[in-house]
Amino acid sequence: MPLRTIRRGVDALEIVVSGLGTGILALGVLLWTLLVGVACLVGVGFRLLPTVRRAAHAVADRERARLAVAGSGSARQEIVWLILHGTVGFLLGAVGITLPVYVVEDVTFPLWYRFLDPEQGGPGVIWWRVDEPADVAAVVLTGVGFAVLTIVLGPVLAWLQAYPGRRLLGGSLSRRVAELTATRAAALDAHAAELRRIERALHDGTQNRLVAVTVLIGAARRAADRDPDAAGDLLDRAQDATEQALAELRGVVRSILPPVLDDRGLAGALAGLAASCAVPCTLDVDVPGRCAVSVEATAYFVVAEALTNIARHSGATSATVLVRRAGDRLSLSITDDGRGGAAEDGGSGLGGIRRRVAAYDGRFRLTSPPGGPTTIDVELPCGS
Amino acid sequence: MRIVIAEDDPLLREGLALLLRAEGLEVVATAGTPDELLTAIDQYEPDVAIVDVRMPPTHTDEGVRAAAEARRRRPGIAVLVLSAYVEPAFATDLLARGSARLGYLLKERVGRVEEFLTALYRVAGGGTAVDPEVVAQLLARSRPDDALAPLSPREREVLALMAEGLGNAAIAEKLVITEGSVHKNIGRIFAKLGLAPDDRADRRVIAVLRYLGLTPGPG
Repeated sequence: MPLRTIRRGVDALEIVVSGLGTGILALGVLLWTLLVGVACLVGVGFRLLPTVRRAAHAVADRERARLAVAGSGSARQEIVWLILHGTVGFLLGAVGITLPVYVVEDVTFPLWYRFLDPEQGGPGVIWWRVDEPADVAAVVLTGVGFAVLTIVLGPVLAWLQAYPGRRLLGGSLSRRVAELTATRAAALDAHAAELRRIERALHDGTQNRLVAVTVLIGAARRAADRDPDAAGDLLDRAQDATEQALAELRGVVRSILPPVLDDRGLAGALAGLAASCAVPCTLDVDVPGRCAVSVEATAYFVVAEALTNIARHSGATSATVLVRRAGDRLSLSITDDGRGGAAEDGGSGLGGIRRRVAAYDGRFRLTSPPGGPTTIDVELPCGS
Repeated sequence: MRIVIAEDDPLLREGLALLLRAEGLEVVATAGTPDELLTAIDQYEPDVAIVDVRMPPTHTDEGVRAAAEARRRRPGIAVLVLSAYVEPAFATDLLARGSARLGYLLKERVGRVEEFLTALYRVAGGGTAVDPEVVAQLLARSRPDDALAPLSPREREVLALMAEGLGNAAIAEKLVITEGSVHKNIGRIFAKLGLAPDDRADRRVIAVLRYLGLTPGPG
């Protein structure tokens, strides 16, 4: 028997046993349902009906998690599933767990058969009298037979046991389409949020600065004849405003898409940030696949700002950046061992992080007790 | 002339106040939000409010709505709305309560101090100031019957300046022609477009804008 088949059989068995878990729960809820049904007959059960619905739904959700199917079946579908899984599914699980027990019992039988009364027969389904080595060998052979049966039947059992759940609890094609539509909408939302952020940054920053420049120059021209000193002062201000506009424009341009993200991906780009940080920085990135580009750009921005902050304000001797992807969420955690007490005001850049994260419906949390350590936790929807 | 300024960008707000004060105008209050503006209007009873379109909290059209509310609370007030970009829809909203004592200009016009002050005085004096950019956008709209086709280039210029809210004298000065010539041009424009002739700038501006496709309500 090829190794792969054995492995598949063992995997299937594991699934069947886990199905026994939800099977027992389903059976329990089924019994509860019967009990409530009887109580309804005498009139006191109606108040308990909602608990049946809730319990069935909770068990169904557990099964969904077990089978890794997404969706939300109707109450009727969940009850049908409950009946099937609490009976057939439960029995299949019981068979699944009994088979390997037989295998172990029968195969190890030569080691302990002497302690048994020959009249009792062998373990499990062994019915014949065992008192000679040939009888024992037959038991061992039966065990081997059970082993083969287990491995061959395992996937079938698993499939049969999961079938009602997949059919009744899982997403139909239309539900799958709805899910894909939702994630696609999320990606578009992220895109729109990014465009809005850029528009806001250009409008409220650069454009207003430039308007201020033209206003100040206009005022300076008017003042030139009347009061040359005042004109000089106005031109100084105009120059300051121009420089601010340029600085903001640089910031906006860099924030749109740091070129390094394109070249090296998120992990590579963050590695660059960590390496150039003035404070020694440990980086731990485990992000399978890629998120929406704008989300990666935001993650990059968050880490860049946080590390700049650490280098400038924290007095830390080391920093840690942890990036993980769980489902459709990208989580970032940046910790330092500095003096703590960080606040969002006072131009620390933390306010900027919060705003940018909020633009994505993300979550931002700052923990910074006096004396440290400071941790910034950010969660972003991946948009994919 | 007592002025309040509502602009959320501090640098720009101070720059504007500085410029107006240097011109000898009385800036009685500055505000950073629509609420501050309305409070200042109640408190200082200014003659003119200069209002930025985009203000907190949503940075969309707060200024337009604050301007409408200011005109409702204090009917005699002149409102000059400034915007980083022009949007005929905003002009429509603003003109819904009539064109008198109303201005809608691009922010950067402030830098051309002399022209800005002219517009400011015109609005404070009961007139209208519509940004040339708004008028240009309206004129550039393609119309199915192309009703503007019969107008000569000169007549188009005069029409545009009328739409901006300029009076005959101002149009004459701007185009370096005589007032009599302006008067004749206007007569021909109104005849060609089928509008009732009107020499008064404050009344005809709304007629012209409406003709050009702005659709303000009765005012």
